Amino acid sequence: MRIVATTPVQDCFDGSTVFTYWFDTVWTPDLVQVLRCLGELEYFSDFPRPFFRLRCGSGLQVKGVVGEDNCQVILPRAEREVIRESFERCFAP
Amino acid sequence: MIYLNNAATSYPKAPGVVDAVRSALTDAPGPPGRTAAEDRSTLDECRDLIAEQLAVRDPHRIVLTPGSTYSINLALWGLGLRAAHRVVTTVTEHNSVLRPLYHLRERHGTSIAIVGLGADGALDMDRFKTALESGATLVAANHASNVTGRVNDVACLFSMAHEAGAVTLLDASQSLGHVPVHPEELGADLVAFTGHKGLLGPPGTGGLYVDPNLDLEPMLVGGTGVRSDLMLHPADMPTRLEAGTPNLPGFAGLAAALRWTAGPERQGPAVASAMAERLRDGLRTLRGVRLVDDDSRAQRVPVVSFVVDGWSVDEAGYALACSFGVQCRSGLHCAPLIHQALGTWPHGTVRLSPSAFTTTEEIARAVEAVARLAGCA
Repeated sequence: MRIVATTPVQDCFDGSTVFTYWFDTVWTPDLVQVLRCLGELEYFSDFPRPFFRLRCGSGLQVKGVVGEDNCQVILPRAEREVIRESFERCFAP
Repeated sequence: MIYLNNAATSYPKAPGVVDAVRSALTDAPGPPGRTAAEDRSTLDECRDLIAEQLAVRDPHRIVLTPGSTYSINLALWGLGLRAAHRVVTTVTEHNSVLRPLYHLRERHGTSIAIVGLGADGALDMDRFKTALESGATLVAANHASNVTGRVNDVACLFSMAHEAGAVTLLDASQSLGHVPVHPEELGADLVAFTGHKGLLGPPGTGGLYVDPNLDLEPMLVGGTGVRSDLMLHPADMPTRLEAGTPNLPGFAGLAAALRWTAGPERQGPAVASAMAERLRDGLRTLRGVRLVDDDSRAQRVPVVSFVVDGWSVDEAGYALACSFGVQCRSGLHCAPLIHQALGTWPHGTVRLSPSAFTTTEEIARAVEAVARLAGCA
């Protein structure tokens, strides 16, 4: 699973720290587990389209659904670049 | 997909809207000018239908605009508010009112007093009365909150405002099409509204009612299609406040929506209201779900806001939309102050807003989805 693009998300909140990450393949239940190394991962397999969310002590938050080729990522203001790199490293070749 | 985001924009539109917009784009344009057509023009028909909706005698007092935000700016800037002037408004306002006011304060020194909520969740009338004692040029009030759906008692507010000598501006963005909006009954000198929410028309349409005893300075001047011989912009209403080429396809669509609205089969407001009540009743029973402002005595438009234990607002909104196919809105809904008053600042709420076309099955599925988020299904 490789990152192919990121796009900022502008919504009712401050969008400067919210991004959609786009991948070259869709999320599968196995691929979701890649996130487990980053923090507290919850996987809701019983939802109509299984949903996952990751919450980290650093402030990083990730959410998405299985079957989609993207997820939404909230980066904290503090140490944003360091945390961004740690997230993106999960998908490095 | 279950669409429950009608407070943002209605979907589907009223029957006839899509065909009317299409015809306006595919049929050859009528004669030039706005009054040259032998038959009543699209704009005139739309204006007449809006006047009927507002129970206003003179349709020429209806200015057609791209929407509420434009209308509110037209009103606020058109009143020529300066440092000597004072505006009393409320915490229930949308940014379409708050931001122009803040800009007036920054640019011209206009003072602003903002009235909060009482313990019952309604506007604090005592504080409103106190705010008026310091003088008011304008009272700007939301008819219905886009966060809680609660309808403000604007007739009472505006009566007090007039006694204090203030002009009154009503933001009817969330109310028109759901509850009666009659400026004369409510004491509203100015009424800003949009076509794409409760009226079920296209986006990019709206208007401003201007009381016959009130003149606004135009915000824009230029081409009008009439009286090209004049050096200055025509002073007659509504041309005085309408410049540039109007959105004819949009207003053709809005006219179609208004015709449907006025039709005998129209049960829209009652259906939408019943669906919202059903939704509220369903959510109220769920452990871990907290309805925001759930006073059953309040009159409401079909808007329901809530938070779910264990879920951030944006996670809940995302999961409802992407996992369950329930289109909703999460966040502050462009109305930051009411969240401070309700205790939902800074993250806001999840908002569901049914329409005339929402079904009981869709409401049941939405409640089921929230129940599963809350872990009680």
